[in-house]
Amino acid sequence: MRIDTKGRFSFPGGTHPPEKKDLTREMEIQRGPAVTEVAVMLCQHIGAVCQPLVRKSEAVQAGQKIGDCDAFVSAPVHSPITGKVIEVALRSHAVLGRSLAIVVEAFPYSPTKWPSFKLKDDFDENNYSAGKICEAVRQAGIVGMGGAGFPTRVKIEPNPRLPKEILIINGCECEPYITCDYRIMLEWTDKIIAGIRLARRASGCSRVFIAIEDNKPEAIEVMNAALKTCADGEDIKVVPVRTKYPQGGERQLIKAILKKDVPTGGIPPMIGVVVLNVATVAAITEAVISDLPLAHRVVTVTGEAIARPGNYHVPIGMSVEDLIEFCGGVAKKSAKVIMGGPMMGIAVADLKTPITKTTNAITVLTKEQIGRAKFARRQTPCIRCGRCLGVCPENLNPTKIAHAVKNNLLDVAESYYISACMECGCCSYVCPANIELTGYIKTGKIFLARQKKKIPV
Amino acid sequence: MRYHTRECVEENLAEMLELWNSAWPAGATMLGLGFGFALVLLIASEKLKVWVDPKVEQVHGALPNLDCGTCGFAGCGQYAKAVLKNPELIGKCAPGGPETSQKIAGILSLQVSDSGAVQKPIVHCHAHTADKTYYAKYQGIQTCIAANALANVQACAFGCVSFGDCIRACKFGALSIVDGLATVDYDKCTGCTACSKACPRNLIEMVPFRYENMMTVACSSKETGKSTRSMCKVGCIGCGLCVKQTEQFTVEDNLARLDYEKYEATEQTETAMNKCPTKVIIYRGKTKNPQDKPGG
Repeated sequence: MRIDTKGRFSFPGGTHPPEKKDLTREMEIQRGPAVTEVAVMLCQHIGAVCQPLVRKSEAVQAGQKIGDCDAFVSAPVHSPITGKVIEVALRSHAVLGRSLAIVVEAFPYSPTKWPSFKLKDDFDENNYSAGKICEAVRQAGIVGMGGAGFPTRVKIEPNPRLPKEILIINGCECEPYITCDYRIMLEWTDKIIAGIRLARRASGCSRVFIAIEDNKPEAIEVMNAALKTCADGEDIKVVPVRTKYPQGGERQLIKAILKKDVPTGGIPPMIGVVVLNVATVAAITEAVISDLPLAHRVVTVTGEAIARPGNYHVPIGMSVEDLIEFCGGVAKKSAKVIMGGPMMGIAVADLKTPITKTTNAITVLTKEQIGRAKFARRQTPCIRCGRCLGVCPENLNPTKIAHAVKNNLLDVAESYYISACMECGCCSYVCPANIELTGYIKTGKIFLARQKKKIPV
Repeated sequence: MRYHTRECVEENLAEMLELWNSAWPAGATMLGLGFGFALVLLIASEKLKVWVDPKVEQVHGALPNLDCGTCGFAGCGQYAKAVLKNPELIGKCAPGGPETSQKIAGILSLQVSDSGAVQKPIVHCHAHTADKTYYAKYQGIQTCIAANALANVQACAFGCVSFGDCIRACKFGALSIVDGLATVDYDKCTGCTACSKACPRNLIEMVPFRYENMMTVACSSKETGKSTRSMCKVGCIGCGLCVKQTEQFTVEDNLARLDYEKYEATEQTETAMNKCPTKVIIYRGKTKNPQDKPGG
């Protein structure tokens, strides 16, 4: 029987940027380089920052917990290598500027060990209680690996005030260039299926959907085939969704599959939905079955300026510089290194920036691509064409907000729901006048935060 | 000629009379209406009279009339009214300074205690373009607040990013970017605090200028001495040499600070300035050459 891989579900708005996934989509997940030094950030998630548990010149084991916090919304961090703590110092962070990190230097005689994991044939999620799964997820420091980094334990733990019914596994990967989730779906299929069953057991959800964009028919087929062989495969459904950016956004995915809106400023549990990324689900399996902490992740190193693009399983905390070096270094024509994809990723100024739990890709773009990009071109006045309104997945009015911010009318920007913007970049992408709409909206959000904080004079 | 005949004149006279006869009631009505309305207005102006304190005018005259809004009111007129009602607001006019406060107090026949020195801004960074370290070129929106949102726009996370948010905030043209550093022209500065509110890195602090030139530690870097050194040639490394000279200095979070309230120009502060290994203790103020001794 031919499986229908045509995506019928989608959301209003969105754009179709060039996918560019061909660079790495056929590359199997390889082990990254042996690292001599890692800098494990103490803040890799949304929520309270971890406190270091180790001191300078202390020896640490691979997988040892080196930072933790008592707060509910937080996740501990672990050392991926065996070695010695050199210092606890500030390191460049892609988002926070400079943030505290634990720098571990590997012992010269101990080779970098990669976690080995094999799913047993007689796996049954009913052998694990919901509480045990949640605790294992918390201890392994698992956070949403799609980009936001929300602690997974908080998401899947049953909450009497917000009962959960539907679990959506996000395998969309709508961002151009990135293929790490696609490779995980192809190669770690059994791990994902086991993780789904564990997450379902922990959260008490009755229905499960696996959402995959229809530009990945192989992944849809592999997932369907794996579900057929497992015991309760009928309850888990693979849903092909239409290829469109930002289909992988949490709210857009819920809109596409369930035709429901998450309230503005709200979270998916308010309508009984949990959304987990495929990489997160695979990490749950590792954590629950073999107590492996989240200390390694798959990163797509891609872009036209990279000599050997590919998908690499690398220790969290290794620097972007080391990883790019391992992939053949950057070409002379390279101009911009981005953590994440070209739409939502953040440009890295300092190549010593370590990889965090939420880094799904390193994209290196060439000078010509940057030259073609919006900001290098001349910005012209808004011609009121309304294209940004058409593509905004949150149904906002980006041009009104951007102009309000430009003219310092923050109350107007607020009345147009500036805080509902998720900064997907669709409006900047389609703007024919080359206006940096997303940039202005981001700036406006910071202005508002400063205004509310009451800065001392 | 018809004109000169008697009948013709009589005819004309009769016409004029007729015109007058038909016109005078209208004129009388208009005059009557005019008087009537004037009377109404006269009564209204007496009955609904609003008494304006002549002091408001006086206070308004004493104010600098810049309408800068530093006092928290919509303009000098609003502030003048408010000050009369609540004399505690006297010191709020920053551009006017103590002189204006004295004048207002004189009008209100009050005595103001010495309100202290004029508050003027000091930029707590001393790094010009050649002193800073950059990792990459920033090409985004050219404002400080947007640049500051992106991590590592320059190596130092505390120093001046020099895209001029403070310049746009200043209504008096007192700020300029000189070689990658926001610089205050103290002749033009009125002390309205707009720049200190605009800086996303909170580099600009309002300081009581009790001398023409104030000594300051022109750095905000709270990183360790080693990393500050690696990023900036003129950053404070928190060595504490200045603290050994005088207690006016304190070191907290790897950063030396001068207590501006206690500041006295003494031998010790001068020695501290000369001993500073990165020469980050400098004078900022009205004298053109900042290295000059303070004038009074």
